[in-house]
Amino acid sequence: MLDAQSYFDRISGDLSGDVKARAVALAAAEAAGLPTRRQEAWHYTDVARLLSKATHDTLHNIDFAPLNPLMAVFDNGRLLAAPQASGVAVSPFHHDGATADNAVLNYNAALAQDGLTAEISGDLAQPLIVTTQGDAPVHLHHKITLAPQAKAVLVDNHMSRDYTNARFDIALGAGAELTLIRVQQAGHQIGTSEIMLAEGAQIKTVALVTGGALARHEANVAFTARGAHAELHSAVLGRGENHADFTYLIDHQAADTSSNTSAYNVLDAAARGVFQGKIIVRKDAQHVDAQMQTRAMMLSEGAEMDAKPELEIYADDVACAHGSAIGELDKDALFFLRSRGLGEASARYLLVAGFIEQVLAHIDNDAMADALRALVAQKIAAQFSVQGDA
Amino acid sequence: MSALLNIDNLQAGIDGTPILNGLSLSIQPGEVHAIMGPNGSGKSTLSYVLSGKDGYEVSGGDMMFEGQSLADMAPEERAIAGLFLAFQYPLEIPGVTNMTFLKTSLNAILRGRGEDEMDAASFLRLAREKSRALGMNDEMLKRQLNVGFSGGEKKRNEILQMAMLEPKLAILDETDSGLDIDALKTVAEGLNALRAPDRGMLVITHYQRLLDFIKPDVVHVMAAGRIVKSGGPELALELEKSGYAEYVGETVNA
Ligand SMILES: Nc1ncnc2c1ncn2[C@@H]1O[C@H](COP(=O)(O)OP(=O)(O)OP(=O)(O)O)[C@@H](O)[C@H]1O
Ligand SMILES: [Mg+2]
Repeated sequence: MLDAQSYFDRISGDLSGDVKARAVALAAAEAAGLPTRRQEAWHYTDVARLLSKATHDTLHNIDFAPLNPLMAVFDNGRLLAAPQASGVAVSPFHHDGATADNAVLNYNAALAQDGLTAEISGDLAQPLIVTTQGDAPVHLHHKITLAPQAKAVLVDNHMSRDYTNARFDIALGAGAELTLIRVQQAGHQIGTSEIMLAEGAQIKTVALVTGGALARHEANVAFTARGAHAELHSAVLGRGENHADFTYLIDHQAADTSSNTSAYNVLDAAARGVFQGKIIVRKDAQHVDAQMQTRAMMLSEGAEMDAKPELEIYADDVACAHGSAIGELDKDALFFLRSRGLGEASARYLLVAGFIEQVLAHIDNDAMADALRALVAQKIAAQFSVQGDA
Repeated sequence: MSALLNIDNLQAGIDGTPILNGLSLSIQPGEVHAIMGPNGSGKSTLSYVLSGKDGYEVSGGDMMFEGQSLADMAPEERAIAGLFLAFQYPLEIPGVTNMTFLKTSLNAILRGRGEDEMDAASFLRLAREKSRALGMNDEMLKRQLNVGFSGGEKKRNEILQMAMLEPKLAILDETDSGLDIDALKTVAEGLNALRAPDRGMLVITHYQRLLDFIKPDVVHVMAAGRIVKSGGPELALELEKSGYAEYVGETVNA
């Protein structure tokens, strides 16, 4: 990891906002230091060790062109051009400098160079793609707000080869609907999403991690009023020494809210998958329905999956459940496919693609789902050295 | 001319437990053979050993398919050679549509035979035609393979795969179990459509019913891992009446 203080001294001249507030945040971050395994939320993810590992994963360009998207490209930490469309009001990046209660967010507060601040209203026909690219360490702080009843598709397309600390503040007004697609193929990323759902708001996230020495995706979802609903689905295709960590805090503060979480991990070689999902149902938040499911397909003895679902329930009339299934590739299924003429590699390809497809199938927009399917096909084909027919 | 399938004194087992104990059977091109026998007599084991499932140890005897020994062939090589097994318990493959699977399978077999793959349009036409003939709607082609299918739908789906792949030898392991009367007729029609002078079938069943629709040339009784009696179609009727007692050496308590 970089030496934050000297990095700050070097770039502080270019940073916007209150430099004093940034220095305070930096001091707080440095006092705490980056998280260590002694902190419960980081027990399975050893940041210092993972940051010291190089990442060799190939970056494939995902073909979003058929979707005619709005682009917000952050190149080495700077927004190249603001997206322009009716229904999207982009404001200049404003640094508020507020300190937080954890070092990751304080580093972000101190060092955030830029970020997309956008308010979306109405039904945004074009997906909004936020691409993070480059080969320098960056800190970004995005703030995306959906006005009441607004509808949008947002893509967090992570294409950086270096360290990224990205924060997304996402607020959905009453009845708003957001589909959030996330992809990470390489690099080191610690991402934090603070998601706030107003009455009847719905968010669906589909995250895909196909590589990276560190892919920490933390999401804290607050259901603040009745009728709010969240779907949080993730797929990990890990090999080599990839490390993918999905950590959620799913906080049902209001009655009649619901969540559906699933995590699918395919882990080969020495890859490691981590899933930590904590569901809190607050007192008086009756009729909450919260479901959580973890599944892992282990392709090698050296791979590891750590799944830790947690329920903390203070209301009495709720339906909450979690389940976890970790297994190897299904030998009977493999035999069945081979008995139908598929070579072993193609059979494995199809079983792995089918496993990941169960996550991608949550994406309603076919063109969007196809763009990710094509990426997955490339990754699996490279992994098993086969040409996929799927 | 060699037999389509010639099994001679086959001995096989799993985890050190012998299951097939010197089984012999010969199918000529154009013939349909039926195997009946009590639960646990080794019928499914025979179908797995023939199609090359991992974990079975073949400790003696031969299995020759058109004069070629199956023993050292991978499951996919056997499929490419023209062997097909309709599974007693069809598998579910989540996330893979029936259509994608059929296409991948058919093209793998065509490629394996050194033939051209089928283009998307011809494939679609063929798949629709074959599935309609089996009373399956297009919607079932778009669904994930066998996921959420009823027992009978899964069996029909096995026959659809067979119809698409047109194997030389189809082994049907209790394909009739779990089918309603109409489905049984449809499936039997599917099987009969595939009968040809150069093809053969090995039909494993517990019921005479299916054999009313596809008349077998030979009926075998299997017990304790070997063929203990063979005869014409009338043998199936006899078994239906009297059971297997005389073959397994048990006495029936009246
Ligand atoms: N994996 C296994 N390990 C140990 N024993 C096995 C295994 N598979 C099958 N067997 C045993 O081998 C014997 C034959 O089983 P098989 O499934 O071939 O019988 P079957 O004739 O097909 O019976 P059914 O009519 O019930 O389908 C049974 O006693 C069964 O318990
Ligand atoms: Mg059986």
